[in-house]
Amino acid sequence: MNPHPKDMRTLEATPFVAAKGLRKSFGGAKALKDVSLSILPGEVHGLVGANGAGKSTFIRILAGLVQPDAGEIRLDGKPFAATSAHRAAEAGLGFIHQELAFVPDMTVIENIMLGLPKRTRLGWVNWTATAREAAPIARRVGVTAPFDAKVKTLSIAENWLISIARALVRKSRLIVMDEPTAALSVAESARLFDIIGALSAEGVAVLYVSHRLDEVLELCQRASVFRDGRSVAELAGPALTRAALVEAIVGREMKPRQAPATKARPGPVALSVRGLSRQPKVMDVSFDLSEGEVLGLGGLVGAGRSELARLLFGADRAQAGAMTLAGASFRPRSCAAAVKAGVGLVPEERRAEGLVLTKSVAFNLGLANLRSLVFSPWLPLISARKRRALALATIRELAVKTPDIETPVGKLSGGNQQKVLIGRWLRSRPRVLILDEPTRGVDIGARGEIHHLVRELALGGMAVLVISSEPEELPDLCDRVLVMAEGRIVRELSGAELNRAAIIAASYGESEAQIQS
Amino acid sequence: MSENSVYSRRLSPSAKSALSLFARYATILGLLAMIAAFSALSPDAFPTFNNFVNVLNQTSLAMIIAGGLTLAVIVGELDLSIGYAASLHGVLVTGLIVQSKLPIPLAILIVLALGALIGAVNGLIVTKLRVNSVIATLGVGTIVVGLAFAYSAGAPIAAGVPDEFLDLALGRWLFGIPNPIFVMAVVLGGLWVLAERTSLGQEIQAVGGNPAAARLAGINVDRIKIIGFVVSGLCAALTGILLASRLGSGTTSAADAYLLTAFAAVFLGSATLRDGEFHVLGTFVGALIIAFGFNGLNIFGAPTFSQYVFQGAILIVAVGLSSLGRMLAET
Repeated sequence: MNPHPKDMRTLEATPFVAAKGLRKSFGGAKALKDVSLSILPGEVHGLVGANGAGKSTFIRILAGLVQPDAGEIRLDGKPFAATSAHRAAEAGLGFIHQELAFVPDMTVIENIMLGLPKRTRLGWVNWTATAREAAPIARRVGVTAPFDAKVKTLSIAENWLISIARALVRKSRLIVMDEPTAALSVAESARLFDIIGALSAEGVAVLYVSHRLDEVLELCQRASVFRDGRSVAELAGPALTRAALVEAIVGREMKPRQAPATKARPGPVALSVRGLSRQPKVMDVSFDLSEGEVLGLGGLVGAGRSELARLLFGADRAQAGAMTLAGASFRPRSCAAAVKAGVGLVPEERRAEGLVLTKSVAFNLGLANLRSLVFSPWLPLISARKRRALALATIRELAVKTPDIETPVGKLSGGNQQKVLIGRWLRSRPRVLILDEPTRGVDIGARGEIHHLVRELALGGMAVLVISSEPEELPDLCDRVLVMAEGRIVRELSGAELNRAAIIAASYGESEAQIQS
Repeated sequence: MSENSVYSRRLSPSAKSALSLFARYATILGLLAMIAAFSALSPDAFPTFNNFVNVLNQTSLAMIIAGGLTLAVIVGELDLSIGYAASLHGVLVTGLIVQSKLPIPLAILIVLALGALIGAVNGLIVTKLRVNSVIATLGVGTIVVGLAFAYSAGAPIAAGVPDEFLDLALGRWLFGIPNPIFVMAVVLGGLWVLAERTSLGQEIQAVGGNPAAARLAGINVDRIKIIGFVVSGLCAALTGILLASRLGSGTTSAADAYLLTAFAAVFLGSATLRDGEFHVLGTFVGALIIAFGFNGLNIFGAPTFSQYVFQGAILIVAVGLSSLGRMLAET
């Protein structure tokens, strides 16, 4: 099905895109440390790497959405500065993101030609001429939907085709596809691969960004691997194998794991999950979480971890399976019910889903503890003294840096906001606390403090579930790690097995033994 | 955030805090300036104890309905049914007393229950059917107009209203201060305690501030929104009853105009003392500004059209100040 043998084409050919020595920092965090990558005309080029390896930042630089701190990009050998999305498009770079940027209420033709319809002399849109221009391109990529259908009525696969047509109308010579098959069925994926092959034959290059190594192996003539902000490998021909890709993604250096300093003795099972399912993101998940244990949930973005957390917290309902909480059947019908039963959640999007930003630190800390702040259940007036005592105690315990307890929480730094969010559950003492990406966007100092705090909570008998996309984070923090891939738990790691490389390997569906061989 | 960029980029921090200070106190300064100006222009008629009591008495009904609306807007919804509902309540309470010969307290209880019911219906439509609150309450409000016509056949119910009922709004209590002022003080005081000092009030403010965060903190967001609408509906009923008592009749459109006054008061109030946040004390100040404005225009014999101009302008100024405060708070 791959129309091209994995020949090297003409290596002497000037690459269409050649990036060299790109660097980019956001604040203190170095997203790209040294990235070089070249794409030949008409080549299907794979780009792989673990979460946080720098793929997204690289794409955003190409697309003109962020500017690199150092390094250069050449197009056809000539220096090119993508200073805006518009310039990148003009230069022949097309981008198709995971969440397709469409206007859902507009028609197929309107979306394909968005921003560049033909106009008559009066300034009206000339739909006949517009359709005449779009028709051959739509036929080429196999858009079968009528031009006047609204895109929101079409399938995701058809939306992908329309996106490709949109890129071609703009005469793109490179189309960057970010996780294209994440939402496609097997048959739809096969159709996409055919189209990618046809594009390549016509001289349009594709940068294929995916976690699915089998697809990369099948489609791409060459593949680049990013790790920790560097381009660490460029594989082609016979060297392009699954084992080589995984090895480059994981890296050789095996930093010995720093086992958690405070080792808790796991107590009785707090939360037991059996056969929990909600298609298509959570499939037949079973595990036990004990009191005093920190259990990690690793895997790639989109593996179904956050969706699993939503089931545990009553934000969504499971289609199948059962849970018990402290021995009693647990079937939360709402978040409120889950909180009442003794489950707490620190959500991933702390500003959007966690905090009331305009309200004070004390207000936000009190939200999950209102019952303990009132004079009595019969007189539900907030006691100013109790409110202040709770806020001050929590701030002191977590070392939250804030001018005072009445400061709006939106004015604090990311790390301190996260501490407030965790602090909310300090007093109400849920049996099970779920932390979704607890240190994302948090500086290194606060990160250590948050890790310490999580260990302390477990030491106090709480059962803690930590979701993290950073494989470095889990081994230092957790007693045990479950790795999810495509909605299932594929690996359980603990003790000597638990390290960064094993988590990444398992995320890609590999076992450690296979990497070593 | 992008819409705030004009302010965040062009203004220095000190200019921003000065502007924010202005936005917070502009309404109170405006109120004081208005009182000072009217006092200077009409020293005999305006700045008298009797006139101030009169203004407060006139505006008490608007303050009650606006106080209820404040709770609905704090939870993040709009309630456009309150004016029509208050009209229906006025018709119904007079009808129940005059035509059905019910005892006055029973008639009032029934009408208050109906007010809570209308609020609950609004809340259920908004939370369970996910209808935008503007549409939901406009629809319910229009149905309510129909109910008022159905009950009264369009004719005012005026004959035979007993004095005891009229005394409700026209009577006076301590120091000869009219009853509605006491009712207003109790209602607004109660609403203030509810919103600012109770655990329910904290939940109400959390739902208004960030519904997603409130939900994940274990708060039943739908329940809180319904409560907001019920409070709004109850206050509309109380205003309707007092208006019927003051007018001595139940008329199908008597209270409709309270809708606009209530919204102007609530938005003016949100720009008062806080950065674009709705709160009960602010609503009180907002309603006072409107009341003194109308009173001044009346004393100077301003023509009718100018009162409409005043009311429309104040609504726009109020919402403008409110969103200015919010923009400054977010940047």
